[in-house]
Formats: sequence, C-alpha cells, structure tokens
Amino acid sequence: MPNSRDFLRCSALAALLFIYIGFLLGAEEELSIAAYLLCGIGVIIALVLFDVFSAIERLVQANETLWQVLMLAGTLALIAVFHQDHYTLFLIGTIFIYSVAVLGINVQLGYAGVINFSGASFFGIGGYTAAVFLQNTSIPTSLTLPLGGLFAAVIGSLLLLPVLRTSGHYSALVTMAFALLMKVFLEVSEWLGGPQGLSLPPLEFMGGNFTEDIVIMGKECSFYVKYDIVCLALLVLTFVFVRRIERSWMGLAMDAVRIDETAAACFGVNVTRWKIAAFTMGNFVIGMAGALYAMMLSYINPSNFTFSDSLLFLSILLLGGIGSIWGVIAATAFMVVIPEKFQVVQEYRYLIYSAMVLAMILFRPSGLLPRKPRSYATGGRS
Amino acid sequence: MNRVLFSCEGLTMKFGGLTALNKLDLSIDEGDILGLVGPNGSGKTTFFNVVTGIYRPTEGRVFFDGKDITGASSQTVFEAGIARTFQRSRLCLELSIFDNIMIGNFKRHDLGFVSNILRRKAFQKTCEEEIEKAIELIRLLNPELVGSIHKPVSDLSMIDRRRIEICRALIGKPKLLFLDEPSAGMTHDETNQLMDEILAMKSDERQLTIVLIEHEMGIIGKVTTRCAVLNFGEKLCDGTYQSIVENPLVQEAYLGREVTEDEV
Repeated sequence: MPNSRDFLRCSALAALLFIYIGFLLGAEEELSIAAYLLCGIGVIIALVLFDVFSAIERLVQANETLWQVLMLAGTLALIAVFHQDHYTLFLIGTIFIYSVAVLGINVQLGYAGVINFSGASFFGIGGYTAAVFLQNTSIPTSLTLPLGGLFAAVIGSLLLLPVLRTSGHYSALVTMAFALLMKVFLEVSEWLGGPQGLSLPPLEFMGGNFTEDIVIMGKECSFYVKYDIVCLALLVLTFVFVRRIERSWMGLAMDAVRIDETAAACFGVNVTRWKIAAFTMGNFVIGMAGALYAMMLSYINPSNFTFSDSLLFLSILLLGGIGSIWGVIAATAFMVVIPEKFQVVQEYRYLIYSAMVLAMILFRPSGLLPRKPRSYATGGRS
Repeated sequence: MNRVLFSCEGLTMKFGGLTALNKLDLSIDEGDILGLVGPNGSGKTTFFNVVTGIYRPTEGRVFFDGKDITGASSQTVFEAGIARTFQRSRLCLELSIFDNIMIGNFKRHDLGFVSNILRRKAFQKTCEEEIEKAIELIRLLNPELVGSIHKPVSDLSMIDRRRIEICRALIGKPKLLFLDEPSAGMTHDETNQLMDEILAMKSDERQLTIVLIEHEMGIIGKVTTRCAVLNFGEKLCDGTYQSIVENPLVQEAYLGREVTEDEV
C-alpha cells in the first residue's frame, strides 16, 4: 500500500498532468496551442535536466497500481469534461486506438525484435474485416473485434516464412513490400470498394446503437463518449496483456531472442517459435485496434492505411521508448494531437515527426519514457 | 575407470578453403576438467561452436551421454545437457542479473500462455522460488551481488559479468560445461579468484564435467585433470598437464622449432 505522502504526490502529479492535457485539448487558437506546447516541452526538458524526471519515475514505479488507477480516473474525467465535444472525443478515441496498435508493434519489435513496416496494413486488415462482416453477416458487432485480430494474425502468418528466412534489413524490406502490396490490393478489389472504400453500420453493443447521443446522469453526451469508453476498455485490456507478456518467461524469452539470437539458442530458447509468437500476437492486437477504428470512423478506404501510417506507428514507438508501455501511450497522444490541433503543420506533419524522431535518437536514444529493468511482480516493485 | 560422457570422432569443420578443425578425436570422462589449449586460431572456439550447434560439422560424429548429437541444433544440444559461456561475454547487458540467469533456465520454465498470462498468482509464486534459487547460486560466487539482483548487468565489472555468465550456464544443471576463455579481459588475480570459485563449485557438484579453454598455462596446470592441445585444427596430443608440457610437439607449436646446425 502506498503511504499517504506518496499518495498525495502521485495524485498531485496526475492532476497537473490531466489539467495540462485538458487545456491543450480544449485550446482552439493556434497561438495558445503553440504556447501550451512550448510550455509542456520546456517543462519536460527542465525536469529531465534537473533530474526531477527520474525522481518522478521512481515515485511512479514504486506506486504502480495507484498510478494506473489515477491515470484511468484522469482519462475518465477528461471524457466527462469534453462530453459534448464530438471532435475532442474523437481525438481521444483515436489516441486510445493508436496506442493499442503501437502496443502490438511493441510486442513485435520492442520485445522479440521482429521489425514490422506494415503495421498499418494489419490495422487495415482488421478494419476491412470488420466492414465486410458487418455488411454481409449478422454477427454481433462486438465479435468483429476479435475477428479483425484473427484475420490480421492469419494473413500475417503468410509473411512469416519470408520474414523468418531473412534478417535485419531484408526482413524489413519484406514487410515494406507487403505494405505496398496490400494498398494496391485494396485499391483494385471491387468487392472491397476499391479506392472508395467501405462504409460500416454503427457499433451495436448490448442492444444500444452507438450513433445516438446519450443522456448520462441528466447530461446530454456525444455518442463518441460510448466509443471512447469501448476504446479505453480495449486499451486497458491490451495494457494488461502486454504488461503480463513483458513480466513473464515469455517476455524474457523474447528479450533473449532480440538481444542475441545465438546465445539464446545456446540456452535452449526456440528462436523461431518466439518470433512467430510475437509477430502473431502483435498482429492480433493491431487487427483488433483496426476493427474498432473502422467502426468509429464508420467509413474506411485504402488511404486510411498507408505506408506513412506504418511509419507513424514505428516513430511513435521510437519516440516513446522501445519496449515502454507508458512511453507508447504518451507518445501516441502527442503524435495524434499535434497535427490535429495544429492545422498549420498538417501538411508538414511527417517532416515534424521525422525531426522529432531524429532529435530523440540524438538526445535521448532510449525514448521519452525508457523501458525499466523487468520486475515480475504485478503491483510495483517489492 | 569413469564413464565416457562426451566423445567426437573425426570431427572436421571447413569454412571454404580453411580447415578450422581437422579430424579431431576427443573423449571426455564424466567428472573431468579438460583443458583445451593451443595457439590462437587453432580451432578451440570452433570446437565449442561445432558441438553446441552454432556450426554444422563438415564431417565426423559427436556423441554425448550415449546419444549422437552430430549437427543437432543449439537448442537440442542444450537440452541434452551441454551449457557454455562465450569468449566475448554474451550477456544481455540491458537485462537484470536475475533475467540473465533465468535465460539459462528455460528448460524448467513453463512457457505456455495460460501459466504466463492468465495464472499470475501461481506464476509469481514460481518466480519467487526461482529468485531464491538464483540467489543461492550467486551467493556461491559473489555474495555482494545478491542485493543488486534486479539491476542491469551493464552496471557490473568484468569479473562479475563472468560470474553471472557462469551462473546462467549452471542454473540449468548441465552435465557438461564449456568455458570459453573465462579469463579474457580480467587481471591475473581476478582470473585466479574466478578459477578458485569454479573449483569450489565443482567440488559441490562432483558429476559436473568441464571443458576449459585457457591461455594461461599456470591456470591450466592448477585446475585441469587432463589437457588436449590443438594446433591448426588438429590435435597434437592429450594427457596430463605434465605430459603435454614436456611434449616436444607442443613446445614447437608454441615456441617454434629449434634450428639445427645443418639448417644454419
């Protein structure tokens, strides 16, 4: 149990963090957004320089469960604050979904070292699976999530043979080729709508239609509140899943494979098995995220899942810290919100992404929130 | 007479035109500490790599514990009971001491989805037991490391890294241990200290058989029960330390031949 001082410190930190995020999300003029951003970046750099950042990290690490609860509460509070604002709620949902997808990439690249330049393709496979099933069958909407994951994992296994037979740059090239192939395939497939794409019926869950606004506790709320809750639930599930992989013999085996294949094999680690496991589990997670994203967009086309989106996933991972779950979530929030809020830079966003990734690699190569040495306990370090 | 634990016959490894190992015959009895010596490039590490499945031998057969393990994968060789350390220490530097030791223990771990992801209570219980075992092993080598078992290996000194590598090789209870130049990068005193620790461990675990690659002949003389000398991939001779040191062939390989008067 955390002592009361730690409890107060953590709560204060979380409160500050979410008040800042709230102001940033609520800001509309570009000048004030720029001011908020510069403030935020300045504070982070100052914290890192004056070594307060690592003290905060230690505090959070020592009170892990408390921190997770606070983050969840803060997120719900954000959703409550913006309960009528379609656009901001949509943005929050997008952050959750992208985080889930990047956590999938994290299992592949961050743990087992399997590079995947076709993340957006598997994201798209999930989305198209959901669309096709919802248009042509009467299966419950909620089932399309695992179905999307399943299809992404199965189609991903087609890539396994070339990926496992090559290494390094060559397997990266294989996944790039797949990404381009997938896009062309989607564009020419009549039955998948070609370049026009497909539209999806709204998510239905426990009898409720997801495109109608709702009334919660006497307040009229945007229907996106419902999507946000579902996205948040998927993120929480994925968080727990990925954390448990990391803190288990499975995660250790994957780490061993990533760091030194030969040494791992000399200690009886089945290198191929763990690469397959990581690639498949990662694609499943990405596919689920894609299915949910398609339902939230309610209309998808091939340009939602381009090679640049795959690069975006990888940049998020690099920026947040390879292998770091909180890092992924923080970096996703940043990478999703900035171009949306900052319409001026929309055109140049990939330029900005690459500049940020370069700066990160130069000045803080292990990422914004670097991965910590493993502890196997669930609720913080003993 | 002890039982033969390991033997190879006519073991040959060619890399293109280079013959790194040439028709090597070697047999090791259970409980032995065999010193493998020879000049640089004589094929000592290649021998380890061929046996542990990193390379596939061009010719010859390898038998271990009554089984033919010729050309078996690294994983199979490890599961049969051969563990090793590497010349350039190949620890996972960013992982903790405990993680690195546990990598040597996968034979006993349940790697299934259910026990790792779903049954977390039971997992944590086994994890605590494993921590106890790892601590027990570390205590034999350097009790000071017990406190930092969850710290990354990159913080450790060279000798401590070697110790962790040896722990990693020993935790899976192998029958045969290959030590590839454990003294590399360490001072003379550190090497002596590490060898004493290995000997102490060996006296606890009588069944353990060790093959040691080492350049310092003093160490070879002190710890080994038998020696084999390699030169240009071929075995020059084997026998006790005394007999190989006195062997003129060995002296020639290390020091060169004495020039006779006719040649002058």
